[in-house]
Amino acid sequence: MPLAASAIYFLNLRGDVLINRLYRDDVGSDNTILPLRPVFCVFEVFKKTEAIQILSVYTIEILRGNMVDAFRVHIMQTKELGTCPVRQIGGCSFFYMRISNVYIVIVVSSNANVACAFKFVVEAVTLFKSYFGGSFDEDAIRNNFVLIYELLDEIMDFGYPQNLSPEILKLYITQEGVRSPFSSKTADKPVPNATLQVTGAVGWRREGLVYKKNEVFLDIVESVNLLMSSKGSVLRCDVTGKILMKCFLSGMPDLKLGLNDKIGLEKESQLKSRPAKSGKTIELDDVTFHQCVNLTRFNSEKTVSFVPPDGEFELMKYRITEGVNLPFRVLPTIKELGRTRMEVNVKVKSVFGAKMFALGVVIKIPVPKQTAKTSFQVTSGKAKYSPSIDCLVWKIRKFPGQTEPTLSAEVELISTITEKKSWTRPPIQMEFQVPMFTASGLRVRFLKVWEKSGYNTVEWVRYITKAGSYEVRC
Amino acid sequence: MAPPVQSHRSPSPSQPSGKGEVSDLKTQLRQLAGSRAPGTDDTKRELFKKVISYMTIGIDVSSVFSEMVMCSATSDIVLKKMCYLYVGNYAKHNPDLALLTINFLQRDCKDEDPMIRGLALRSLCSLGVANLVEYLVGPLGNGLKDGNSYVRMVAAVGVLKLYHLSASTCLDADFPPLLKQLMLKDKDAQVVANCLTSLQEIWSLEASTSEEAAREREMLLSKPVVYYFLNRMKEFSEWAQCIVLELVSKYVPVDSEEIFDIMNLLEDRLQHANGAVVLATIKVFLHMTLSMTDVHQQVYERIKAPLLTLVSSGSPEQSYAVLSHLHLLVMRAPYIFSSDYKHFYCQYNEPFYVKKLKLDMLTAVANESNTYEIVTELCEYVANVDIPMARESIRAVGKIALQQYDVNAIVDRLLQFLEMEKEHVTAETLVLVKDLLRKYPQWSHDCIAVVGNISSKNVQEPKAKAALIWMLGEYAQDMQDSPYILEGLVENWDEENSAEVRLHLLTAVMKCFLRRAPETQKALGDALAAGVADFHQDVHDRALLYYRLLKYDVSVAERIVNPPKQAVSVFADTQSSEMKDRIFDEFNSLSVVYQKPSYMFTDKEHRGPFAFSEELGTLSIGTEPSDGAVAAQRVEANDKDLLLGTSEKEESHGYGNNGSAYSAPSYDASTTAGASQGNFDLVSIDQPSTLHPPSGFAIDDLLGLGMPAAPSSAPPVLLLNAKAAIDPNAFQQKWRQLPVSLSQETSIDPQGVAGMTNPHALPQHMQGHSINCIASGGQAPNFKFFFFAQKAEGSSAYLVECVINSSSCKVQLKIKTDDQATSQAFSELFQSALSKFGSA
Repeated sequence: MPLAASAIYFLNLRGDVLINRLYRDDVGSDNTILPLRPVFCVFEVFKKTEAIQILSVYTIEILRGNMVDAFRVHIMQTKELGTCPVRQIGGCSFFYMRISNVYIVIVVSSNANVACAFKFVVEAVTLFKSYFGGSFDEDAIRNNFVLIYELLDEIMDFGYPQNLSPEILKLYITQEGVRSPFSSKTADKPVPNATLQVTGAVGWRREGLVYKKNEVFLDIVESVNLLMSSKGSVLRCDVTGKILMKCFLSGMPDLKLGLNDKIGLEKESQLKSRPAKSGKTIELDDVTFHQCVNLTRFNSEKTVSFVPPDGEFELMKYRITEGVNLPFRVLPTIKELGRTRMEVNVKVKSVFGAKMFALGVVIKIPVPKQTAKTSFQVTSGKAKYSPSIDCLVWKIRKFPGQTEPTLSAEVELISTITEKKSWTRPPIQMEFQVPMFTASGLRVRFLKVWEKSGYNTVEWVRYITKAGSYEVRC
Repeated sequence: MAPPVQSHRSPSPSQPSGKGEVSDLKTQLRQLAGSRAPGTDDTKRELFKKVISYMTIGIDVSSVFSEMVMCSATSDIVLKKMCYLYVGNYAKHNPDLALLTINFLQRDCKDEDPMIRGLALRSLCSLGVANLVEYLVGPLGNGLKDGNSYVRMVAAVGVLKLYHLSASTCLDADFPPLLKQLMLKDKDAQVVANCLTSLQEIWSLEASTSEEAAREREMLLSKPVVYYFLNRMKEFSEWAQCIVLELVSKYVPVDSEEIFDIMNLLEDRLQHANGAVVLATIKVFLHMTLSMTDVHQQVYERIKAPLLTLVSSGSPEQSYAVLSHLHLLVMRAPYIFSSDYKHFYCQYNEPFYVKKLKLDMLTAVANESNTYEIVTELCEYVANVDIPMARESIRAVGKIALQQYDVNAIVDRLLQFLEMEKEHVTAETLVLVKDLLRKYPQWSHDCIAVVGNISSKNVQEPKAKAALIWMLGEYAQDMQDSPYILEGLVENWDEENSAEVRLHLLTAVMKCFLRRAPETQKALGDALAAGVADFHQDVHDRALLYYRLLKYDVSVAERIVNPPKQAVSVFADTQSSEMKDRIFDEFNSLSVVYQKPSYMFTDKEHRGPFAFSEELGTLSIGTEPSDGAVAAQRVEANDKDLLLGTSEKEESHGYGNNGSAYSAPSYDASTTAGASQGNFDLVSIDQPSTLHPPSGFAIDDLLGLGMPAAPSSAPPVLLLNAKAAIDPNAFQQKWRQLPVSLSQETSIDPQGVAGMTNPHALPQHMQGHSINCIASGGQAPNFKFFFFAQKAEGSSAYLVECVINSSSCKVQLKIKTDDQATSQAFSELFQSALSKFGSA
């Protein structure tokens, strides 16, 4: 089923409309005249309780005329806001997503493609961000609402998604207002092939780019997800990685990227008929690529070759479950001494190279709600009790490899009679960033740039591993 | 850009404060309209922005329509866009004013700048004013032939917009064939994609009425077309790819070779970054291999990795959409995913809707090898997270225990939950232990030992309490304290609010008595006494039944209340396999998320109360057209209602009219009803038929009320109560009591006789005249009917026996009434109603 969105709304947290755009008439507009007569008759004839019952059914019907109100009454003002991002009210389905302090709501009346709808919202937000310079929130929307309307007009027509690529849209819708690529009056420099690009035939890159210095930045960003039992066994562990690229290259360059992944290496040695080099190879569970990557060539030769878009983009995403190097081990011991005291000991061990270090390490150790007093001893960093999240927060700004700082804390609890339920221990959560380290062991072996003019390029490669959801039960 | 007026951060649409400012805007705009001074455009921009911001927050700015249009004569493209937006929003409610804009939009459609041509064309098509469609045809035709692909792309969707406004105009202008040409030839992929979406929508809407359209729709799925799209796949944008893949998934390849060709071609799409494309590709793969079991299996293996990646990347909403699909697949083939169970472990911070789906999947994939780990994980959730999650987790453990008998530890662990002494955990567990015992009675020994230790005071939830009581009764001989616990519960009979619990308590005490009579005698006596005095009908009835059973014969009671039971082998599945297949057919759509096929939430009939009140919205009081067709429709719609027993009908009638009449044994509240009818008589005197409430909900009554039937031909000497009702017993009694006041022979229209083949036809027809059928019978050629009618004012009733001979078309009438004076009038009325049968 295609996505045929009937309307899209942007609401703030209170439910005020920031943007509304109706694409199709099948859900009614805001100005529907309500047929109220039957409602009054209900009151004349029925007992009050019955009338109210009937009215509530009828109100829903009225609300169908005003989708925003329906959303407010049935989703925002009930406890159901967090329960499900897809809801049906009347004959319409609402897809909603919260992004910073804004709700984006898509209304459909048919059996629509859900994945497509959410992806559309995400892509649209990326697009808006690239226009507003990074942030997407209520203020940004209020400041740019005309621009948003323009964009909404272009990215969706009659409910069907059109072109959402920022590179292309920026050719003819600009921050300063609209610049027509066709009119000679306003254009400062002519863009020869813009119409083709507008409709996506050339896609992600325009011709005639010139840079004085040709540079490519490659960022390999991995996030480690871990779920460890209190006994220290790994219940679940995986790495989701992405390769981000920033290109400042002239002309139409062809790029080829080589990684130390198993399949790629095997294929290579097979093609060159020489034995594979020894060294670590990585088995990728699954890879997805940016649309610029030639997938057919990837499938046949296992090389990642592509003509990159200009500027910043996400080249590929991958997932690994086998052979993950966990950067940290957490060893907690939490003892409840009677009803009013607790003893918390946490040892964190860094298991990456001694020359490397992690940045921004935060360890959140949960304590009961009725915590009264805490005292700490840490061998490194700072710790404090944060009552708003019921956690001991231990921060270590710079955490060298192969070290094991400890925290020992005493927690005093208020003894309560009402709170007789025993404390459910949430897991210890950890945040960190380890530069120049990949949990998967993935390495870039080469990045070749080929352009017909044959210029030299400078390539920069960075690695970083972050904590995804890094949880240790205690 | 300057921020929109800050003072209006949160006005409500009804707030009148916008009024003054709107008129201010109006004058300012008017001043600017003719001005050509430099800088005008900037001022205009600011004003336009204000207008648009008002429009967004819901203030009605339609009054500045003409000023906006006047100001739109500009070369500034931003101004144009804002104006188009404004016009698009208000044109529908101001069709006359919309006409003003046609001129400048049409002019812009011929602009030399393709951008403006495209924008103007899009706005023109979005006006949504039905009587302006004639102005669309020309520009659209030109747009489809435009040299610029941007304009063609807009025009392709424009055709669809036109179709929705006026299908005939669109078809008469021969746009669909033009689109088809464009779709198969255009160089630009987005134009092709838009043509495809438009054509798909148009032809599937037309297909029901036009054979040609149906053929064309088939054409879209023909081999050359599908191959054409497949070959251009890489040119399409990610969104267009979704649409093309959806089309391909409906294509039926001729042989397996073709299937493999297509799958090889599309395999790289599984690597696409857009989850929607991946899901669409998966749909193609799954549907194409449905008939090839082993390949289908391989497809599952192949799509596993991409699906799991999609789940772990992106926002929770996106992963929810993917998880719903994964959920569907896991339910279809759990064994394929059984080694991936760790992917379904929940993270602490995940939203509940994601966790719930994951729990379902964990339950489904549990098998001998992984059950231990899965249950260990589930036990963590029971202890560690919020209450709804804990409940779901316990249910999951229970489900696994029910699936797999031989994993002993699982039952132990389930029983350990009872020792956690958390109310919600205990409650949920008790319900599950009960189900477990129903399936595996052999566990009773282990379970009873633990359950016996639970104090019934700690169990408050009705479902859990009922489960506990059930076990106390069922295993009375194994539980030492059973009679005494039950006795305690009986003592608190009055404090027990739930009827379900009281019912269970009655049965449990009964069972206990049958096994351990001396200890339970007192409790039983108390329970029966309390039960008989209970205000709840079911409880009362059950208590009485037990009492009489015991009085009659204890061994019979034993056989009825406590027979040897057979273990339940399979608990009923909530969804039929047919339903599941339908959902699978609609893969990659909302059906999967809602877990029900699309007809259940997109068709109006299935929307339940909403659809009904929609009907209400279209009706209005006292203006119901009086032609027979509508009445016939109504009657037909109430077909189901007629099939209900008369007594049920009586209830619903009584309920609809007046709440006080509800409890009266026979319906005689017509005086009150009649009184209120009096007020309406003037309006409704020419209503030949009456409306009947749809079963279950009596809301229509307020429309039907006060529209008593009267023959439209004759002046209404006698008015019948439209809501007359009587129960069959009362009718019989009355029939015996009263003398025959009139006996007549008449004839019936032969056409009517032809209609007699349907036994409901005549009763239905007569009901339209406020004469209700009480009973009918007989076989051709002799039919016998008993009818009942009631005078609108007063309570006098008319009883009729009507014998119809269908071969001779003769009718014998016997009329009995307690109001002799009007019997003749009624007879005429009855005969005139009868004579219309078949001719209407």
